[in-house]
Amino acid sequence: MGAYLVRRLALMLLTLFGMSVLIFVLLRVVPGNITDIIFDSAGYVNERQKKKIEQQLGLDQPIVVQYGRWIAGLAKGDLGYAYVSEKPALDEILPRIPVTAKLAVLALFFSVLIGVPLGVISAVRQDTTLDYVLRIVSLSGLSLPSFWLGLLILMAFVHWFGWIPIYQSSPGSLWKEVALLSIPAAAVGFRSSALVMRLTRSSMLEVLRQDYIRTARAKGASDTSVHYDHALRNAVLPVVTIIGIEAAFLIGGLIVTETVFNIPGVARFLVEAIRWRDYPIVQNLVMFIAVVVVAVNFLVDMTYAVLDPRIRYEG
Amino acid sequence: MANHDHALELEKAGANISGRLSSLAFLARRYPLGAIGGVIMVVFLLTALCAGLTGLDPFTTDARSSLARPGGEHLLGADFMGRDVLARIVFGARISLAVAVGATVLGCFFGVVIGLTSGFFGGWFDLLVQRLIDIMQSLPLLVMALVMAASLGPSLQNTIIAIAIPLVPSVARVIRSNALSLREMPYVEAARAVGMSEMRIAVTHVLPNTLAPLIVLGTAQLGSAILVESALSFLGLGVPEPHPSWGRMLSESAAEYVRSAPWLVIFPGVAISAVVFGTNLLGDAIRDVLDPRQRQ
Amino acid sequence: MDLRHAAVATIGCAAVALAAPTALAQKSGGVLRSYNSSNPPSASIHEEATIATAMPFSAVFNNLLMFDPSKPRNGLDTIVPELAERWTWDASRTRFTVTLRRGVKWHDGKPFTAKDVQCTWHRLIGKDPDDFRKNPRAIWWRNLSEVTTNGDYEATFVLAAPQASFPALLATNLSPVYPCHVALKDMRTKPVGTGPFRFVTFDSNKTITLAKNKEYWKPGRPYLDGIQFSIVASRATRTLAFAANEFDLTFVADITPPLVGDVLARSPKAVCELAPTGVTTNLLVNRDRAPFNDENLRKAMTLAIDRQAMNDILERGKASISGAMLASPHGRWGLPKELLDSLPGYGGTPAERLVAARRIMTDLGYGPAKRLKIKVSTRDFQAFKDPAVLLVDQLNKIYFDAELEIVESSVWYNKVTRRDYSVGLNLTGSGIDDPDVTLVEGYACKSERNYTNYCNPRVEKLLAEQSQEADPSKRQQLVWQIEKILAEDAARPIILHTVAATCWHPHVKGHVLQQNSIYNNWRFEDVWLDK
Repeated sequence: MGAYLVRRLALMLLTLFGMSVLIFVLLRVVPGNITDIIFDSAGYVNERQKKKIEQQLGLDQPIVVQYGRWIAGLAKGDLGYAYVSEKPALDEILPRIPVTAKLAVLALFFSVLIGVPLGVISAVRQDTTLDYVLRIVSLSGLSLPSFWLGLLILMAFVHWFGWIPIYQSSPGSLWKEVALLSIPAAAVGFRSSALVMRLTRSSMLEVLRQDYIRTARAKGASDTSVHYDHALRNAVLPVVTIIGIEAAFLIGGLIVTETVFNIPGVARFLVEAIRWRDYPIVQNLVMFIAVVVVAVNFLVDMTYAVLDPRIRYEG
Repeated sequence: MANHDHALELEKAGANISGRLSSLAFLARRYPLGAIGGVIMVVFLLTALCAGLTGLDPFTTDARSSLARPGGEHLLGADFMGRDVLARIVFGARISLAVAVGATVLGCFFGVVIGLTSGFFGGWFDLLVQRLIDIMQSLPLLVMALVMAASLGPSLQNTIIAIAIPLVPSVARVIRSNALSLREMPYVEAARAVGMSEMRIAVTHVLPNTLAPLIVLGTAQLGSAILVESALSFLGLGVPEPHPSWGRMLSESAAEYVRSAPWLVIFPGVAISAVVFGTNLLGDAIRDVLDPRQRQ
Repeated sequence: MDLRHAAVATIGCAAVALAAPTALAQKSGGVLRSYNSSNPPSASIHEEATIATAMPFSAVFNNLLMFDPSKPRNGLDTIVPELAERWTWDASRTRFTVTLRRGVKWHDGKPFTAKDVQCTWHRLIGKDPDDFRKNPRAIWWRNLSEVTTNGDYEATFVLAAPQASFPALLATNLSPVYPCHVALKDMRTKPVGTGPFRFVTFDSNKTITLAKNKEYWKPGRPYLDGIQFSIVASRATRTLAFAANEFDLTFVADITPPLVGDVLARSPKAVCELAPTGVTTNLLVNRDRAPFNDENLRKAMTLAIDRQAMNDILERGKASISGAMLASPHGRWGLPKELLDSLPGYGGTPAERLVAARRIMTDLGYGPAKRLKIKVSTRDFQAFKDPAVLLVDQLNKIYFDAELEIVESSVWYNKVTRRDYSVGLNLTGSGIDDPDVTLVEGYACKSERNYTNYCNPRVEKLLAEQSQEADPSKRQQLVWQIEKILAEDAARPIILHTVAATCWHPHVKGHVLQQNSIYNNWRFEDVWLDK
């Protein structure tokens, strides 16, 4: 197990290194850089002033040197300065993380709250009308563009309540913030709940077919006890996996939702930073997302190892 | 093999009936949801293919019809520029089809080539591919597509490429693991024994047997490609004007008129949702058919 | 500048009625909530040309002079004192001397002196070592050769030639006085001024907050305790939020004509004033590139433009159609209707012009069977793409085979500055309704924003003449002569002067929306909340 851990960690580092090169190069392929953006709002480009800014930002250096500087800075915990706001990139990124994290946790909460029970019911009542209805609902959750759902929700709110759940800079108390975030979170969670429901259903079905469930039934255990005691407990493992992975990948859905609901989180910030060609922000933010994804994958694997003794790792 | 099992099943069920139509009818009874999905997809395909025959015009602008209500001259209303929403949805089916099929085929093609070669031949190439896949998969699909779309710039082709690239690793991964297991199959060993070249074995014996998982994966990606395109359009990075892309119709410009012209938000959204729903239904059914072990 | 950056003129008639706040009734306190439609590139007004910076940060500063905030139509005759108590011209009309207000303090406590005036304009004309990162309005000051001081409270602007509009250049919100002792990087991130509100925070893509300057030199002002601008990129979201009363005031010119009815339907009591944005939609034709180096082809293209059709769709018929300068009643310099109609591309009916345009095309050898294949480039930005789609339609009626080419937003000006286009559609903003700004920026030979490389010695001469002319009516005649030449040369055909509305809820009092510059009157010092 120890050797396996070392190997996993080495591979994770390798992946992150690859990601850093990839994003660094891709960003520099994007047409235009920060100096174009700076002049964009002026409606002209002054080559002399442009060169000067490029020099100040080190953009005139060879790409390898630029990369070296970035990584050397990262190693020291220095993320550089954001091009647009001219503030330390860390100060720009850090305060936005809790907002997105809260949103993500709430969305996950919704998806589990809805997805798991519906998945169980659907599995237990397999091939009944109820099962079909639930499956259609969950499939439709996977079929709606999430920003469209967000817009419909906003339209509905203004129409019926004359009020709109958009995020203000200071929501006051944590409760107020949670209340504000819960609506966009529900919009995102609806989609994830569909995934969770489908997975819960299939792993429930799988477990229900296993020998030990048949044995339990043969021994006269009631249906309820079979379903909820034996089956659910064993079906939970793959569900934990998908929840873990979904948590990391939720950020994709959050990008559009944060835009629709005007939530100042990291996901929307990433889009803005790409638009502004704000390399220090995009690079570091993408690396942050990659670290989260890689770490979650690792944790999920470890959870598996701990929860399921059948899995053995050879060193 | 999964598809062999299924052929048997079909044969048994259809022992006293013949013809493909009957098998279709059998499938529709067995998988009603899939059948609904199939119907949606057929309608979608016909719309896209026959858009030119409808006599509708998605491009002509007209001041008098700006934001016209549904009904009368414009069945589904008109947009800000006075263009007919129905016509744009009908022609938009082509764009969505192009994006969905284009990105999926492109993604699957490269995924298969990479997955097959790395799985079948193994060695350092396989190691390298695996690491690359790890890297590509360390970002959520939309984030990856976003960065790609920004790098490539706005155009229909670039949008397709930007959506296809993030699909490659997931396809490659599935095909690779399939190829790995096939490598040790007796008939592959046999082919090797009679002196067939590795390349030929890969193409004639391994490739056909990865088709089933590929089709399952591909159908699942169709809908996701349409959704990613619409999200990119919403963020201003999708298929540009003047193409009547559903995602763009729904995006900011239409969203401005949520109240005065809600049809601009509702109809394209319904079109996207319906088609994605169709691909998902069909995808589920195809998975059940091709891989009965997963039948749930 | 693009559409977000504009100047003024009201189409409605509501403005004046709103203006007069009943004396003594003002209430103090409260925080005004507004929004920005995009993230300001920085907080430094001198270094930006976008209203996204000018609207939220103008309240931090003061000018030397300003356009009277109570008069909606800015002009040379509405200029009043701000930090300069008095000003005088010398006999040669090349030395403009200002006497400064005493006892004014920067928000950091340091005193305001003539040195600050000197170094602000030294930076603008490149005489200060602490150079602006970019200087988008350098061309405004091309006639300014030196700024001198006489003690702490007097400064003199020395001009190379007389310039009648010089006070107007000083009076716009785009020309605040900067503190000498604050580094420019800080001015971009946490500006210091003398204005009615102190800078508090600027979180990119999130919020900008300002708080009342309790030591403001103008007694009893401002009324508000603070102002908060949320940055809301999605238009659907922000208009819904305004309807839901989350904002008191919209971003300036954020409500396009088709949306006005929508906003009023949701908030029937809201005040929505439609005013010209100072932005023109215009046609760029690369006159150095074949076949567009042919004058006749360019003429046919101007004839093909159906301004009214564009106006009807894009602006609900509310836009102003005129030459380069905005016409009355909104603007002060535009051609009157009779003169305008005598210019090529304006007179007659669209059908007649179409016939004439087709005839030119036929003479040039084009026809239904032999169409001229071109790409119409425009920026990947909705306000650019909508008119471009219409333009393509209209050009195709005169035997063009035009196709839209969408250019990545960030490289658009890069491309047009390099003249890397054949036909383009652009939006150009103008900060002040004055020929020295609008005409010089767009058509002077050396202007950085003269995207078509148009350079006509006759125009150059007339531009200089009008600038020096002190008599307004004589100056107007000169401007009209220039307009005529520009139209005949199809220099850069102006399609529309766009309009848009700014809306506020009725509890916002004391705000006078300016009619011919969206950049002016954003001090918020007279605004109060009746809650």
